[in-house]
Amino acid sequence: MLRPLLIAWIELKRFGTDRGAIAFSIALPIALFALMYGVFGRGASFSAAASMVDLDGGPLAGELLDRLEAVEGLRVDLMTEAEADRALDRSRILTAVVIPTGFSEGLQSGEPVSILFKRRGSGGETGQIVSHIVQGVAQDIAGEFEARKLARDGLAGRGVPEARIEQTMTPLLDEARAVAVERRTVGEEEAPAGRLIPGVLTMFLMLAVTLSASSIVDERRMGTLERLLTTRLTVNQLFLGKFLASVGRAMVQALILLSLAFAILRVADAAAFAQVVAFSLLIAAAISALGLVVAGAARTSEQATWGAVFLSMSMTVFSGAFISVGETGPLAFLSKLTLNKYAMDGLHGITSGNAGLAGQGPEAAILAGITVAGFIVARVVFRTAQKGE
Amino acid sequence: MTEEFLVAKDLRKRFGDVPAVDGVSFTIRRQEIFGLLGPNGAGKTTIIRMLSTTLEPDAGGIEIGGRSVAEDSVGVRALIGVCPQELALYPELSARDNLVFFGRMAGLGSRQAKEAAAENLELVGLLDRAKDAVRKFSGGMKRRVNLAAALMSRPHLLFLDEPTVGIDPQSRNHIFETILRLRSEGMSVLYTTHYMEEADRLCSRIGVIDHGRLISLGTPAELKSAIGPPDEVTLEQVFLNLTGRNLRD
Ligand SMILES: Nc1ncnc2c1ncn2[C@@H]1O[C@H](COP(=O)(O)OP(=O)(O)O)[C@@H](O)[C@H]1O
Ligand SMILES: [Mg+2]
Repeated sequence: MLRPLLIAWIELKRFGTDRGAIAFSIALPIALFALMYGVFGRGASFSAAASMVDLDGGPLAGELLDRLEAVEGLRVDLMTEAEADRALDRSRILTAVVIPTGFSEGLQSGEPVSILFKRRGSGGETGQIVSHIVQGVAQDIAGEFEARKLARDGLAGRGVPEARIEQTMTPLLDEARAVAVERRTVGEEEAPAGRLIPGVLTMFLMLAVTLSASSIVDERRMGTLERLLTTRLTVNQLFLGKFLASVGRAMVQALILLSLAFAILRVADAAAFAQVVAFSLLIAAAISALGLVVAGAARTSEQATWGAVFLSMSMTVFSGAFISVGETGPLAFLSKLTLNKYAMDGLHGITSGNAGLAGQGPEAAILAGITVAGFIVARVVFRTAQKGE
Repeated sequence: MTEEFLVAKDLRKRFGDVPAVDGVSFTIRRQEIFGLLGPNGAGKTTIIRMLSTTLEPDAGGIEIGGRSVAEDSVGVRALIGVCPQELALYPELSARDNLVFFGRMAGLGSRQAKEAAAENLELVGLLDRAKDAVRKFSGGMKRRVNLAAALMSRPHLLFLDEPTVGIDPQSRNHIFETILRLRSEGMSVLYTTHYMEEADRLCSRIGVIDHGRLISLGTPAELKSAIGPPDEVTLEQVFLNLTGRNLRD
């Protein structure tokens, strides 16, 4: 079956004569990669700043600030109340923490003290996390202070030296500070860029829809479709050729993107790279086949373009790439109708390093099913549209 | 071996309310240049599309080389070459690449296709421009490449749909010479046009078509003698006499 290959070859050759198209198709993955690098290149984990206002200035406020500073990923920005208000006003920060006057004194005398959280709206996601951290640390301090006080009061008049009490209490308190936490690792954490790859790659492969959707209309416009249909080329071979061209083009672009991501961001090892490439081939095939359905039905370039835009946009939106769709409910159901969901699930399965390609059987089967079904529907639709002329 | 290479019987095709082709029957003999003469919109292109297997007729039957278009379209395609009215070429590719590609689609091997491409470019006088992209060619040159592409399948029957519309006299003469030479090599040709002089000069028999109906059929001399001495009558007058209208309306 040489003819489908020739169809694909001539299509890629035509594409190759268009310098602008080539430059664009290479520049696009590179630009996308640069974006990913800009966001995740410098290795990020949780990081946030706590905007603190210290109106107290006492020793326990100082202790609180010191301990916050010691929390991993948390930076303490000390500011005056006026500065904090101004920053809140302009939404530069969403939460400010105010340690009120008398904080140290109140704690020392056993009176109830409070910390003030000033925030815009809900205070933002990081603002809420920071608030909880501050609250926790403050409660620790208060509790420890209370415990020390109880110990000192209880031992008062027994001639136990202050230093001795401190010596005994400190390790006890240190131990008590943390609620015992057992850590059980259920898998390697995905690198941040690795977490991004499935979504970006899937969306990127979606571009193949546009190209394969207009491949038949293009031939119609040039008059070559009519000529091809008077040769020995069958409709099957024609569609297979267009399919191969679309998959080939998508894979070249995906390879550029993935090579950069793996080589520079080091998101995973060579084995994972090969598996991601192999799975991308399945995705590109399924997407190209769906593009062919549009191609078979479209009579004009406009129809092909809008059909492709509608298809790729709706599948991207409902896939859960941008909105959280959960596991049940109507949104989750809609997401199961998109190809993107299976594409991203499969890719996540590989990049998370848990199961690898072998573990993506169901997703792979669904994508292969979409490919075959898309191909058959495309031909039927084309035949019907051709007859209805 | 029958003398008729193509037999079309009572062809009909409607587009919505428009009866584009309305009961047309004719035959084309071996080594004959058969003309379909008629104004724009008469139904010429629709007839060619049905004969060349790309458009299914609403009714009627077509046999080419003894094969039925309805039942053996693949077999029929092996016998025909189509030069569509509109250009059917990849503008970005060279004349040679276009021809080689269509040759391969017609079933030629790689070597055969290259040889046939060179032959056919030579035939239409464009061998020296073989490597230029088609988009750089003049209108007349594009039409000549379009014709050469139709010849890549080495057809027994060639469909030419108004191959000379809007081109320079030089290209036009070149196309005429090519057609006559092909005929002398044994090819049958269906030639559509709305230019009488062309039909008169090239065709052994002519079917006059208007509003999807074949209103007259015969040799140019027969058509003319119906209204006067063939030497003094033009096909223009024949058409006027048949329809009460001028062909160029
Ligand atoms: N694809 C089509 N859809 C609708 N109408 C068509 C189509 N092709 C041709 N027609 C109509 O059929 C008639 C015959 O057209 P055509 O065969 O192209 O004429 P000609 O080739 O003699 O100029 C015209 O009225 C034309 O508008
Ligand atoms: Mg026409």
